[in-house]
Amino acid sequence: MLLRCLVLTSAVAAIMCIRFAAHRTVPALDAAIVGLALICAAVPDSHTGLLVVALAGIDWWATVDDRVTPWSLAAAGALAVFHVSMAAASLAPVGAQWTPAMSMRWLRRTAVLGAAICITWAGLAAIGDHRVPGNGLLLAAALLVVAGATLWARTASITQS
Amino acid sequence: MTSNGWRPTAAHVRAVVGGALLAIAAVLARRPDLLVFASPFGIVATWATVAKPSVAPTVRQTIGHAVVREGEATTWHVAVDDSEGRVDHVAVALRVPPWVEQQPENGQVATSLRDDGDERLAVVIRPIRWGRRRIGPAVVAASSAWGAFRYESVEFADERLLTALPQSSEFDASAPPVRSAGLVGVNRSPRQGNGTEFASIRPFQPGDRLRRIHWPQSLRTGSLHVTSTWADHDRHVVLVIDALNDVGESGGIDGRASSLDISMRAAGAIAEHYISVGDRVALVAIGARGVQRLPPATGRRHLRRLLEVLATVESSGEFFDDGRMPRGIGNGALVVMLSAMVSPRALQRAVTIADRGLTVLVIDCLPADIIEKDPDDPYLAIAWRIRLLQRESEIRHAREAGIPIVPWMGPGSLDAVLRDLHRHAGVRMARRQ
Repeated sequence: MLLRCLVLTSAVAAIMCIRFAAHRTVPALDAAIVGLALICAAVPDSHTGLLVVALAGIDWWATVDDRVTPWSLAAAGALAVFHVSMAAASLAPVGAQWTPAMSMRWLRRTAVLGAAICITWAGLAAIGDHRVPGNGLLLAAALLVVAGATLWARTASITQS
Repeated sequence: MTSNGWRPTAAHVRAVVGGALLAIAAVLARRPDLLVFASPFGIVATWATVAKPSVAPTVRQTIGHAVVREGEATTWHVAVDDSEGRVDHVAVALRVPPWVEQQPENGQVATSLRDDGDERLAVVIRPIRWGRRRIGPAVVAASSAWGAFRYESVEFADERLLTALPQSSEFDASAPPVRSAGLVGVNRSPRQGNGTEFASIRPFQPGDRLRRIHWPQSLRTGSLHVTSTWADHDRHVVLVIDALNDVGESGGIDGRASSLDISMRAAGAIAEHYISVGDRVALVAIGARGVQRLPPATGRRHLRRLLEVLATVESSGEFFDDGRMPRGIGNGALVVMLSAMVSPRALQRAVTIADRGLTVLVIDCLPADIIEKDPDDPYLAIAWRIRLLQRESEIRHAREAGIPIVPWMGPGSLDAVLRDLHRHAGVRMARRQ
C-alpha cells in the first residue's frame, strides 16, 4: 500500500517540480497526469505508467525553458521514483509483506538511479547554455544510437533464448 | 514471448519505451535536459536486459502433512531453485477452500530469493472442520532485476488433498461389553469359560482341565475343586452414522457444532476408545454420498482408516441405505447409531437392526441450540418446535421397542446404558427366541 501511495505522490511531485521550474502550468496536462497516476496506483502492472512518463516529458518540454535548472534533478528523480515504485508494487500481491532485504535491495538500486541522474545533470550543467550549431550527421548519429539501444533492448527482451 | 517462460513486464516496457521516447525527444528538440529524465529509464532498461534470466526456475510445492486432525496446522511450502542466480524476488499467493484458515490470512508471501532464500515462502494452513479439502496450487511469480521479467507458475499437478480427521471428543467407557460373540478377545464375557479373570472356585466337573484344580480347597474339602474363570471375548462395535441431514450451523473446531460435527467427533472418540482396548469396530454411514462402509477390524491402522472414511462423509440430503451391515459382524455386536433423528428414517433403521437381534444404542446428536438457529425468523423456530415434538414421540416409540437413546455427553456418557444392556442382554435374547 505504501508503494501505491508512492506512485501517486511521486507523480504529483513531478508536476510540482515542473511547475516550480516553469513558473506556470498546463492544467489539462497536470489533471491528466494525476488521473493517470491514480490508475497506476490502482493497477501498477499496467502500461498506463508509460503515458504518465510521456505526458510529464511533454509538460516539461512545453513549459520549462531553463535547461540547467536544478528542478530537472528533482523532476527526474520523482519520475524515477514513480517508475521504481510501480515496478516494485507489481512484484507481489498487495497483501504480501515485504522483507527488509527486499526493501534494502530496491532502496540501493533507487540510490544508483539517483546518482545517475545527478551525474547526467552535472554533465548538462557543465555544458551550460552552450548551443551546438545544427549538424545533420550528429543528429543522425544520436538517433542511431538511441534506435540501436532500443532495438537491442527489445531483441534481448523478447527473442527466444 | 520467450520460450523459457520469462515475460517482459509493463515496467520493462515502460523503461525501454519511456527512455527511448525521452532520448529521441531530447535529440530532436535539442533539449539535453530531457536526457536527465531519460537517464534513469535507460539505466533500468539496460540493467534489466543484461540481467535477464535465460533459464526457468524450478518450482516445487509441497504440503507438510496430507492428513491432520481438524484444528491442527500444517505448512504449504514453495521451494524455488534458481540455477542462474538471476531471480530477485518470488511472490506466492495461495487460495484455500472454505473451512481452512491460513497464516498470513491472505495467503500471500514474498521474499528476496537471493537475500532471504525460499524458507519464507511458506503458508501455514489449518483446517477448522473435518473433511477432505483440495489445497492449491499456489500462484508463484518470480521476478528478475527491476521487476523487468516475470515467470509465473501455476501447475495444477501441485494441487494437494488435505484430509482433516475429526477431532475426537473425550470419551471413556468402563462398562462391560454387552454380550459375547465368541471366546477370544480381551474383554470379560458375561459367561464363565476359559479365560484369565478369576470367577469362583467350584466342584470339579468332567471336562475341567487338571491345571485348573485348586489344591488347597480340594484338600480342605476332600473333593476336587477347580478355579473357574470368566471367558474372554471379542467385542464388535458397529458405528452407524446418520448423514442424511447436517442440522445446525457449524463454526468449525472453535465454534458451534452441527449435528454431523457432533456425530463425527463422537464416532471418532468411540472408535478410538474401543480400538485402543482391542475391540473390533465397523462403520456404516447412511445418507452419505454413497454408503460408506468399513468392515470390523482393530488396530491403529484400522483406526486411521476409519477416521479417514469419517472425514469423507458428506451429507447427501437423500436417504440412501441398502440396509446391509458390514461383513463379519457377529450376532453379539453392539450397534451405536449416531443421529440427530431429524428424519424418522434413522430411528426406523435402528429398529430394523434391533429386530435382527443386534443390540442397538442411539446417541442423540442434535445440537442443543437448534431452536435458536435463526432468531429473525420466528416461523422457523415454531417449525422446529413442532418437529421436535414429533421427534419426541418417535423417540418414545423407539424406547418402547427396547432401543436406548442417550444424548452425547462425552466421557462416561454411555456407561449407564451399556451396563443396563450388559445386565439385560441374556433376558432380551431369551425373549426374542
